[in-house]
Amino acid sequence: MSAFFEVSSLDVSIGEASILRKINLEFREGEVTALLGHNGSGKSTLLKVLARQMSPSSGDVSLLGSSFRTTGAREFARTVGYLPQHPPGTDGLTVRELVALGRYPWRGPLGRYNDEDHRLIDQAIADTGLDHFQHRSVDTLSGGERQRAWIAMLLAQQTRCLLLDEPISALDVKHQVETLRLVHRLAEERELTVIVVLHDVDLAARFCDRLVALKTGQLIADGSPREIMDSGILETIYGVPMGVMERAPGQWVSYVH
Amino acid sequence: MYAESASLPAARPAIPAKLPVAAIVLWFGALIASSAPWLGELDAGALVSAFWTFDPENYSSVLAHYSWAPRVSIAILIGCGLGLAGAVTQQILGNPLASPTTLGVEAGGQFGITVATLFAPGLLAFSPDLAAIGGGLLAIGMVIALTWRLGFSPVTVILAGLVITFFLGAMNMAFLLLKGEWLGNLFIWGAGSLVQNNWEPFMELWPRVLVLALLMLLLMRPLQLLQLGQTSASALGARVGLIRALALLLVVLMTATVVSRVGVVAFVGLAAPVLAKLLGARTLGNKLLWSTLMGGGLLLLADTLAHWASTWGDGSLVPTGTTTALIGGPVILLALQSFRNTHHMPGQESSPAGFLPKRRSPVLITGVISALLLITVIVSMGWAPGLEGWNWMAITQWDDAWAWRGPRLLAAMLAGVALGLAGTLIQRMTGNPMGSPEMLGISGGAALVMVLIVLSGAEISRIGQLGAATLGAAGALGLLILLARKHRFAGNQLLLGGLALYVFMDAGLRLVMASGGTVASQLLNWMYGSTWLISESEAFGLLGFIVLISSLLLLIVRPLTILPLGDTAAASLGLSVSRARLLLLFLAAVLTASATVVIGPLSFVGLIAPHLARVLGQQTVGRQMIVAALAGGLLLAVADYLSRIVVFPNQLPAGLLAALVGGVYFLWGLSRHGR
Repeated sequence: MSAFFEVSSLDVSIGEASILRKINLEFREGEVTALLGHNGSGKSTLLKVLARQMSPSSGDVSLLGSSFRTTGAREFARTVGYLPQHPPGTDGLTVRELVALGRYPWRGPLGRYNDEDHRLIDQAIADTGLDHFQHRSVDTLSGGERQRAWIAMLLAQQTRCLLLDEPISALDVKHQVETLRLVHRLAEERELTVIVVLHDVDLAARFCDRLVALKTGQLIADGSPREIMDSGILETIYGVPMGVMERAPGQWVSYVH
Repeated sequence: MYAESASLPAARPAIPAKLPVAAIVLWFGALIASSAPWLGELDAGALVSAFWTFDPENYSSVLAHYSWAPRVSIAILIGCGLGLAGAVTQQILGNPLASPTTLGVEAGGQFGITVATLFAPGLLAFSPDLAAIGGGLLAIGMVIALTWRLGFSPVTVILAGLVITFFLGAMNMAFLLLKGEWLGNLFIWGAGSLVQNNWEPFMELWPRVLVLALLMLLLMRPLQLLQLGQTSASALGARVGLIRALALLLVVLMTATVVSRVGVVAFVGLAAPVLAKLLGARTLGNKLLWSTLMGGGLLLLADTLAHWASTWGDGSLVPTGTTTALIGGPVILLALQSFRNTHHMPGQESSPAGFLPKRRSPVLITGVISALLLITVIVSMGWAPGLEGWNWMAITQWDDAWAWRGPRLLAAMLAGVALGLAGTLIQRMTGNPMGSPEMLGISGGAALVMVLIVLSGAEISRIGQLGAATLGAAGALGLLILLARKHRFAGNQLLLGGLALYVFMDAGLRLVMASGGTVASQLLNWMYGSTWLISESEAFGLLGFIVLISSLLLLIVRPLTILPLGDTAAASLGLSVSRARLLLLFLAAVLTASATVVIGPLSFVGLIAPHLARVLGQQTVGRQMIVAALAGGLLLAVADYLSRIVVFPNQLPAGLLAALVGGVYFLWGLSRHGR
C-alpha cells in the first residue's frame, strides 16, 4: 500500500496558541484510521488540515505524492471528501437533492448531470439505506438518518478518501454502531481511505485498522488496535488509569480504574 | 437494518398549488388595477396595443403609449430584477432577511449619486451607473467588513446593513442641509419615482437587466452549494469566497442599475423572495423563478397604488418607493412569524468569534471620562465664536449664557446618558453587540408619530410634540411586546420587529420629503436631533426622569448578567425569564423615548456608548452601564457643542453630527474585532 497523505513536520498555531507540533505521519491507501485523543488534543485540527479547511503554519502535506498547495479546489474535492463535525441545517433540501450536490466537483457550475451521475446518486442512496427517505426534507430526519444523508453525499462525490469529524458523537449506541459499520463496509467495498475522529476507543478498535493518538498537539501513539489497546498506552493518551480486557479476538473493552 | 418510517412520500415533492395561484392573482390584480383608469377611455384591445403602437388621432391612446405602457413595463422589469437580486442575496448569505435594501446597497447607490451630483456632475452625465455602482459597492463592502469577524449570522448582517443605511442616510442629510439648493430634486427622485414619459429608459434598462439576470442564473449551481455551509461547500471544491464575491457583485450591479435610473425602490427585493418562500418555493431554482415573478407583480401593484394615491390625493407626488416600503413592513413581520428558528440558518457558522478586550480599572476609566465631561461642559459654556472671533466668557457671565447654552447642553448630555444605558440593556439582553435602541425601533416608533402629525398638517406645540413622541415610543414598545410574547421576549426577534417599524417610519419620511415645503425641513430638524429646540423646564424635567429610572436599574443588574447564558440556564438558576425580560424591555423603551424626543431617532449613541465601554475594558454589567452612560453623555455633549460652532453662525443638528462621528467610529471599531 502506498502513502495517500504524507504529513511532514506539520505545525499549526492560532495566534499564540500552538495546536499541533511537529507532526510526521503517513496515511496509507485503503486503510481505516481512527484519530484519538482528549478534548483539545488537536485531532479535529489535524483533520481540518488534511481536508484543506485550515492551512498549516509550517510544514507540508502531500496528497498522493504531490504537494497540497498545487491542487485545484475541485480537483482536490474529487479525491478527498470531508464531513464537518456539525453539518449545518439544509433549508428544505430533500435527501436526493443533498446527495446530488456531491456531484459538483465533477460537473462544476454549468455541466449537465448525465445518466452516470444519476446512477451514482442512486447508488449512494442505496448504499446508505436511504431509499425510502430520498424525497424527505433532510431537516425532518432523525440524527442518525441525517448523518447517513451527509455520508451519502460524500459517496456521490466519488472520492477515494473520506475524512469524518466525530460522525457519531451525537448518536445513540445503535446508530453509532450502524454508522461505523456502514463506514467500514463502504471502505471495504469501494476501497476507500478513511480517517475518522472518534471519542470511543472501544468502537475505534473494533472498526478501524489503525489507531493514531494525539496529546496536546503531539503524536504519542500510532499502531494497530492490538498494539494500542494496552492499559499503559491508553493511560498516556487519556491521562487516567485505565485497564483493557480482550473479550474475543478483535473485541476489546476498556475501563477506567 | 434501518428503522422504517410509516408514511413516506414516494415521489419528489411538487410545488404547492398556492404558489402559482398566488402569483397569478397578484399579476392579474396588479394589471387590472393599473389599467382600470384607462378602460373608460380606451377599449381593452387598444390598451394592450398601446405597448407597441398608438393612434395619433386619439389623445388617450398617445398618452397610454408614452406614459402608461412604459411605466407598467418598467415596473415589471425592475420588480423582476430586484426580486431575482433579492433571492440571490438571500442564498449568498443564507439569510431570509437579506436583500439589496437591508444590506444598504440601495442607500449606497443613492449616496454615490448624491456625491457625484455635488462633486463630479460630469461623471453623472457620462454614466449615472458608475456613481451608483461605486456607492453600492462601498455600502456592501462596509457591511462585509463589519460582519466578517462576527460570522455572517443573519441578524448581525441585517443590523450592519441597517447601520450602514442610517449612516449613509445621515451623510446624505448632511449634504442636503449644507448644500440643499443643489439637491432639492434629488429627493423626489431618490424616493423612487417610476413616472415615465417615453420608452427610452425602458429600452435602455431591459438589456442590462436581462444580461445581469442571465449571469446570476449561470451561478446557480455554485450558489446551491452555499446552502451546505462554508465548510462543506469548500470540501466539495467550491471557492466559497469567489462565489460570494461574484454573486454579490452581480447583485450590486443590478441594484445600482435600477437605483441610478429610478431611485430607491425599497423592499421589493426583500418582499418577493420572502413571499415566494412562505408560499412554498423550496429548491433554489424555484425560489429564483418565483421571486422574480413575485417581484414583478409586487412592484406593479405598489406602483399602481402610488399612482392612485398621487391622483386622488392633493396632487402631490407619491413616490413608488413609499408604497413599496409600506408593503415591505408587513412582509418582514410575516417573515418574523414564520422563520422562527433564526439560530439554525443554513450556512451559519456555529460560533461567531467573541471579542474580549482587557479588563481595566473602572475607577480610572470613570474618572477620565468624568473629567472629559467636565472639560466639555466648561468649554461649551465658556468658549465660543462670537461676532469678533473666538472668546472666553467670564464665569460671572454664565448666568446670562445659561439660557442659551445651558438647557440644550444638559438635555443633550442626559439624552446621551439615557441612550448609553438603554443601549447597554439591549445589547446585554439580546447578546448582540449590534443591538441598540435605534435598532429596536422604539426611536422609530416615536419618529413615525411625528411624521404622521406633519403629514396630517396639524400644527401642534412643542409640548404636544413631546407627548406624541412618547406615545409613539410606547406604541412601538407595545407592538414589540405583542410580537415578542410568542418568542418569550427573545432578543433577535425583537430586533427584527424593530426593523419592521423602521421600515414604516422610512415610508412616511419619504412621503414627507417628496412633498417638500416647510413641514419637511421642520421634521428633518427634529429627526436629526436639533437640540436648540429644548427649553429650560424640559431639560430639568428630563434630569429628574433619568435619575428616577437610573435608580430602578439597580434592580436588574444581576438578572442582566444571567440572561445571556440562555433561557434554560437562566430559568434553572431561578430567574423568571419572561418577567425579567419584560422589565428590561420597559426600562429600555422609556429611556429611549426620553432621549428620542431630544436628539431624534437616528443618532448612533445607543449603539456606540456600550461598545465603547467594553473596549475600555468594562466587562461586567454594572460597570459597563456606568461607563456607557458617561460615554453617551460625553458624546452628545461634544456633538452639541460642535453643532453650535462648526458652521457658525448657522447650526447643524447635534444628532446628525453624533450619527456621522459615531458611524465612523463604529465602522472602525467593529472591523478590527478579534484581530
